[in-house]
Parts: sequence; C-alpha cells; structure tokens
Amino acid sequence: MDDTIGKALEREIAERKLAMTLDEARRLHGLFGRMPTPLEFHLFDIMWSEHCSYKSSRKLLKGLPVRASQVVIGPGEDAGVVRFCTHDGVDYDLVVAHESHNHPSQVLPVEGAATGVGGIVRDVYCMGADVIGSLDLLRFGDPLGPSGERCRGIARGVVEGIWRYGNALGVPNLGGDTEFHPGYDDNCLVNVVALGIARHDRVVHSFVPPEAGSEPYVFILAGKPTDDTGFGGATFASADLDGEQGMGSVQVADPFLKRILSQANLAALEYLFGTGAPFGFKDLGAGGIACVTSEMAAHGGLGIHVDLDQVPVGIPGLPPEVVACSETQERFGFAVAERFAEGVLDIYNRRFELPRLFPGARAAVIGRFTSEPVYRVTCAGAEAACAPASAITEGVFYDRPAEDPVSSSTDDPGELPCDPGKDVPAMLLSLGGCSRRAVWSYYDSEVRGSTVLRPGEADSCVILPVPGCSVGLAVSGDGNPWYGELDPFLGGAHAVGEAVRNVAAVGAVPLCATDCLNYGNPEEPSVMGQFRRGIEGISEACRHLGFLEPGEPLPIVSGNVSLYNQSSSGGSIPPSPIVAVFGRLDDYGVCCDMILKEPGNLLVLLGPRHREFGGGLFLRAVLGGSGGRVPLFRGPLEAEMARWVIAGVKSRRIVASHDISVGGLALAAAEMVLSSGGPGIRLEIGADPVQLYSETPGYLLEMAPRHVDRLPDHARVIGEITGDGGLSGDGWRVDLAGVRDRWSDMLASVVWREEGV
Amino acid sequence: MKPLVAVVRFPGSNCEYETARALDACGLHGRIYNWNELDEASGRGCSAWVLPGGFSFQDRVRAGAVAARERIMDLVFRDAQAGKPVLGICNGAQILLESGLVPGWNPGSVQGCLAGNLAPGRTGYLSGWVFMKPVGAGAGKCPWLMDLDGAPVPAPIAHAEGRFVFRDEDMAGASELAVLRYCTPEGEEAAGWPHNPNGSALAAAGVMNTRGNILAMMPHPERALHLFHVPPNLPGPWGEARRTRGAVGTPGPGASFFTGLARYLEVP
Repeated sequence: MDDTIGKALEREIAERKLAMTLDEARRLHGLFGRMPTPLEFHLFDIMWSEHCSYKSSRKLLKGLPVRASQVVIGPGEDAGVVRFCTHDGVDYDLVVAHESHNHPSQVLPVEGAATGVGGIVRDVYCMGADVIGSLDLLRFGDPLGPSGERCRGIARGVVEGIWRYGNALGVPNLGGDTEFHPGYDDNCLVNVVALGIARHDRVVHSFVPPEAGSEPYVFILAGKPTDDTGFGGATFASADLDGEQGMGSVQVADPFLKRILSQANLAALEYLFGTGAPFGFKDLGAGGIACVTSEMAAHGGLGIHVDLDQVPVGIPGLPPEVVACSETQERFGFAVAERFAEGVLDIYNRRFELPRLFPGARAAVIGRFTSEPVYRVTCAGAEAACAPASAITEGVFYDRPAEDPVSSSTDDPGELPCDPGKDVPAMLLSLGGCSRRAVWSYYDSEVRGSTVLRPGEADSCVILPVPGCSVGLAVSGDGNPWYGELDPFLGGAHAVGEAVRNVAAVGAVPLCATDCLNYGNPEEPSVMGQFRRGIEGISEACRHLGFLEPGEPLPIVSGNVSLYNQSSSGGSIPPSPIVAVFGRLDDYGVCCDMILKEPGNLLVLLGPRHREFGGGLFLRAVLGGSGGRVPLFRGPLEAEMARWVIAGVKSRRIVASHDISVGGLALAAAEMVLSSGGPGIRLEIGADPVQLYSETPGYLLEMAPRHVDRLPDHARVIGEITGDGGLSGDGWRVDLAGVRDRWSDMLASVVWREEGV
Repeated sequence: MKPLVAVVRFPGSNCEYETARALDACGLHGRIYNWNELDEASGRGCSAWVLPGGFSFQDRVRAGAVAARERIMDLVFRDAQAGKPVLGICNGAQILLESGLVPGWNPGSVQGCLAGNLAPGRTGYLSGWVFMKPVGAGAGKCPWLMDLDGAPVPAPIAHAEGRFVFRDEDMAGASELAVLRYCTPEGEEAAGWPHNPNGSALAAAGVMNTRGNILAMMPHPERALHLFHVPPNLPGPWGEARRTRGAVGTPGPGASFFTGLARYLEVP
C-alpha cells in the first residue's frame, strides 16, 4: 500500500521534533484535508499535548468533587474562584491556582523553578486578581543517596529560583513543604500555588466577550518582546526526562518586568472597568500567542485574525511558528473593544514606560476578532495557519487502561523497640524530621505587610487578604510520598486530610482545595491505576471534609496533572498527589499558632492512636525499615476533630495547636517545644511506640486546666506544659537542648554546605 | 490636613503599598508616586519622602544605583537639602547611599555602600527578625528615631545586600552616623552573627546623614507596624506581648519610626 502521506507526516514529526503520534498526525491531516503548515503542526502539537489537553486524565478527573455553594469558578479557567469575604460593602473572592514545573526544574533548576512561580502568579493575575501569596511544594531526591550531588544541586537551584523570582515580584512566600525521597532522584517535583484576591464584580474571564460579535474587538499583547525561549515547552513537559535534553525548552523569567506589568495591569483593569465595555484577559503560558489567541476566540464562540508582523519581537527573523508558539515569559493578552485599545496601550507604553524599562517591551494590537469562527494567522502577507477555531481547542482524548495497584501496605513489624531518648533525636535529625528553616530563610514571607503567621510558627501561614478587613486566610499544602508509594488511595486521601488539619489547627474553616497530580507514564496501566486510586482517595477525603454547607464537599476548584514523571531509565516517581487547602478565619486576632504559652497548662491529645507505622518516620529513621500499614483515612473522625479544633480556637480555649503526622505524637510534641524556645512538655506516656510514634492523624492542643472539663470522646489530657524547655514522659527524657541547633541547621548543613557528605 | 508624605515607586519597588499604609496608620498621609510622576510629586509639595523596599531596576549595576539617577531623585535631593525628612527602607536605603545623600559628607558623591551579606556558610538573600537600638547622641535629632525609647526594637530584614561598608578613613565619622545598630534581644550591641545578620560595619542597621534628617535603614519597620506582625516565638517583651495580648489593633515595634515623624511634623 502506498502511504506517501504517512511517510510525509512521519518526516514532519521527526524534523520538527513533534511529540504527537503518527495517528494523531493523520487525524490532523484529516482535519485540514491537506498537509498542515508548520505553524499548524506546532499549534496542534501543543494543544494536543498531555500538558494542555489532559488527554489521558480528563475522564478520571471527572470524579473529583468540584461543586459547592461558595464556588464562583471551578476548574476550567486559569484559576479557581470562591466567595471569600465582604468588607465595606464590597464582596471579595479568593482566586487560587496550582501547577507543576517539574521537568524544567530538573533540567535547569533555577530558571525552571523561577518560571514555575512566574507562570502560576500569571494565572491568578489574569483573573483580575491581585496576587497575595504563593507556596511551593517541593520533592527532591535523596541528597545523601547515590545521586546525592545532583539532588543537592537541584534542591539549592530550585530554592534559589523561587527566591530570586518571588521575592523580587513582591509576593509573600507562604511556605509549602519539602520532602526527600529516592524516587525523585531523576525527576524532582516543583509544585507551585498562587492565591489572589479580587472584587467579586471584577473577576475577569479569559475569553472574548460576546459583544465582540457586534462591535470591533482587538487582541492586545502586552509585556516582554517575543523571542524563541520556551519553544516546545508544553510538549517537553509531557515527555520522559532523559539526561539534559530539553534545555532550550525552558523559559527565561523576569520578575522585575512582571512586577511592573502587574502594576500596569491593575491600572489597565481599572481603566477598562471604568469604560463599562466588557473585555477578556488572559496570560500567555503554554503555546504562547497561538494558544492564547485561539482559546480566547474559541471559548467566546468567535474567530480571530492574528497578524504576526505586529508582534513586538526581541529577535528579528524568527519563523512564524516560533513567534506564534514560543513561551516567552511575562506577557498578557487582552480582548478589548477597539475604541478603548489606545487607552490600554497608553497605560503600558507611556504611563508605565515599558519600552524604556526593558528593551523591546511594549503593548501592541496584534489581532482582530472576527464573527466568522475561523482561526487565521498571517505573516508577511502570507497565511501561516487557518483552521476552524473550535477544532483547535477540541482536543484529543484517550481512555487508557488502568490496572488497580496492589497495596503494598503490610502489617507492621511485631515487637518494636522504644527508647524515646534516642528515637526522638534520631527522627529530628533525619531528612524527614529536621527543620525546613534553611529553605524559608531565603523566602520573603512578609512583603505586603499582611502576614500574621509565618512558616514554622503554626501549621499554616496566615495572612490578611484585604487591608483593613479582619478576615484572615490560612493556607497549607501537603502530600506524603511515603504513603503514596505504599497505598496510592491513602496517599491521595491523606494529602487532603493533612492540609485540612493544618488549616483547622490555626482555627480556619477550610473553604476550597487545589490539587496537582504528579505521576509517571500514563501509558503504563499500573501508573494509570495509581492515578485512578489517587483521585479516588482525594475525592473520598473531600466528600468528608466539607465544612460550609451540610452535604457539600470540600471543592477542588483548580489543579493540574503532571504525568511522565520518570527518567527514561524507567523509574517512575512515587504516586504524588499534592493538595493545597485554603481556609478562612473570621477574625485573624483569634488564630492559633504552635508556640507553647504557659507552664501549668495541659496538653490534650485529640485522636486515638492506632498501630499505624507504614511509610512512617519511625520505621525509616529509627529502625531503618520500610513498608508497614499506612494510617487509615477515617473521614467522619477527621471532620469531627477539625470542627472541634476550629471551635476551640474560636472560643480561645485552645491556645497552641499542632497536628500529628510525620513521626507521630512524639515528634509533634518535640516540634512544639523546639519552636517555642522556652517552655517544655511533660507527657504522661511511657516508652510506648504506638502512643508515641504511630502516624495516625490527630492533634496536640495546649489548653488551660479550667477548659478541659468537657472534652469529646476521642480527646484526653496526656501531659502538661513545663517551664524547662524539655520533652519527657514516664521513665524517659529527650535532650532537646542538645539537638535544637542541629535540628534547625541540618538541612542547610547537608544541602547547602554539603557538610559530612 | 494630615501632612503629605511621598512614597516613591521606582520600577521594581514592591513595598510601596504597606509603606503608605503605615504612614496613614500613624497620622500621616502616605501617597504613592510613580518614578515618572514628577509634576504630580513636585506640584503638591510633600512634608517628607519615603523610598520603599523592593528591587528597583532589577538591582542592575548595583542595588539602588540606577534608581539613584532617576529624575525624581532630583526632587528628593532638593527637599533633603532643605532639611525635609527622608527615609529609605531596604532598597530605599541602597538608593540613598547610591545617591550620596547618606552619609552625606559631600552630598551627591557616593561615600558608603550596602554590600552583599556576609554570613557564615551562606550567601544571598536572608530573611528573619532582628533587634536594633538607637545609639549615640545623634539619634536624638533624627525625626525617624525620635519616638524610640532606647529599648531593643525588633523588625524583620529581607535582603541580599545589606552590609554597610565605609572606607577605613571614614569609619570614625560613620560611627557617629550609625545611629541604629543591631543588638541582642537583651540590648547588647551585636558582636557578630547571628545578631548582626549581614556583617555590617559598626553593626549598623541604619545610618543617617550629618544633618540627621535622612535615615537609610535595612530592617523593615512597616512590616513590624502592628503587634500581629511580631512572631509569637520572638524573645523579649514584644514576643511576650504577642503571645499574651490580643494582637488586633495594638501598635507594633515598627510604628515608632512613623509616629516619630508625625511628632516631628507636629501632627496633633
């Protein structure tokens, strides 16, 4: 059989380094009825990439609970939006987004992590919000393992990229978490979350408004001049990692320009809302100009004609597919009525002087919306692309086979040794238990002047989103790879559970969540099975942990899927669902930190202890083992405990709180003492490993003796606050003074100074 | 009418909003002017200037060097020479040194700098809370320090280049102007890391000009404006206050820098 078309398509795929399969290329050829142009090949290669199309995951994602009364915009746009507060008669919404920048950070850690932050804040800005915080969920390989040198370099580089970008941008870093696991030796994870606040009546959509059907609307591109950086970025994010390839696909970030753009954007939004004419606003991310223009037009039911000759470029002579598809950072796009275009251009080009501040930066009209729903791109008078607008965004789908994973959660070892005086220091001075201070010390957590609780002071950071308003916001991001590895379902459920506990521990009511689902190769049925179970775990937890309206879940309002997290030598990462939860405090003055307050107060344990050591720090750091039974997710109990803690903080009966997770009760108590710098804890618990080290979820709460008379069934007094700065129990004592400095400094010593490596 | 205090936003500034809010909270009217709003800034006539923190012009050349040569600095220079109070915080302090306003022995010529942090075993950015206190007779004539009572003042730092450096022959003179110095929570002058967080000469956290109307300081008083800003585990009376008192509506340690100005400007 003569397959000249197939051979020609194969050649195109090879020469253009496309990620699409031959079958997809044939489908594209069929769609056009001709050989696609270079720009069309690249545009569809991006739109049909896993990163943009969710082609492997979309079907399963439908299982996530996304609806609840407070949700204004759920998954689908650049960021999720929920109702947040009312101040001085104005309603404010919380805008949240969550993404990964894993592959770029593995290859070029500083630039990859920086553009991760840069990209996620753009998603929030483009909803019309002001960004008020960001957090990073980092997963690195073993810094002391066989690939230690590379892992340490990546960890240092990622933290540097985050501080260089985020600090300069002026967005406070609200922590996040950092975990080390050898499964990330060849593929680190850099998940980034951004949150913002917007007036409810000024949330902007990312599509052209219907008014563009009846009056001329144009597309304005504002920001950095387009160059060739990040060309192929979306397809790179959807491929296996192999050595150093793909470096040219990593974008170059510029927080200086972004800060100026963010201020100019606020002025432009103010101006456009003043005109009364509807408009659309969207950031340029994956697929650059081609994706933003086609999506804005298609989602508004219209077409667009983009004239690439009008695009301000940083490098002359780039081919049209590069200008259209490069992922040059720090750019935004507007769909505005033509009669107001001049006003917008003036704000960027004159008032904020973009062209003077950055060579070639400016705002320019580069396209015109059309009522005929056709996506058309011209360059130097010639047509570079022409397709039905809806065809571009339609996407492709796969129903990939999934094999249920066999839970490797096993029974815990029988007799366990227990010597708290040695075990607790061993856990505190392990990579899983040491302080993350080395990471936070590089981050600016206080810019904006609205930070109430910083990393290390409480289970969540707390900020004031609206100046002058007493409503506070708490946020935490979590996900335990050691659980996911043993039981993908529980990995997902506990990611939600722990983030909810962290938010509840400060007294905040969980409002919504975001997720980033980091997994290996979806073409392997076992990985698809892990992915399916992870989603089921998240969904199960969310169904139990809705706190606003009876019967409603904690809604997932935004998120991201990151697949192909593996090296080409075949090692997949542990299943790594990572979840961020956002909570509201009616009054930030009544929030709870983990700092011990008053010797003589009592320590209350909330949550019964079960024999659950699986994936736990005790097995790893003390016994040098693995496996074991992962703690069960007990939804109704989690919900009940969170409700009780929130109420106890609100009534000021609880004066310090910390959740029990990694390392169990003993580590939680040690962390409270180490963070406090004065008081200590005496427990009425002997050398009992189940009581002390099991990772069954729960809380430790400091309460005055007069407040403990009405504890619920699953709570009991287990000790008291002392003045001696130590941690002791029945027949044992931990020398915390002797480990404090090393606990605080260990990460800096291993990762940054490379001491004792 | 509350006295107008101009807060200059350079391209890359990022602390302008909270700085203006801090002024507002202390009986003044903080107003943000863009670097190129020369007519607006000179037209109204302000009582004082604040150069806020951030990364003006991307720290190109040296932190503060490019902003120091922007035209709006001509207005600041003119008012500063006329004796109006000027405060530079963090990047604003870097701009004041790069513009030659501080130490100001010969206004306009650069006679000191803020160099990269020196801390054992680490380089780059460092954030965290520090303590500082006013030192020397000169502090009494600086409007920004008038309300400090001599007790240690906690506030956060957040910078990569905050180490005051002077020529050997200028050290004696600089010592008179280094009126704000890092100290221990108990008030002992910082001997070195970690209380002097960046290796600053003279343990200087802030340096004024010879006349005393201009202060360049690295810690951020606007981030210590309210008691709720204070970390609950901070040693000393401010941490104790945060742990035990309601944190809402209570001034924090950084407020005195702005209330001092308000008193100097005779705000009732």
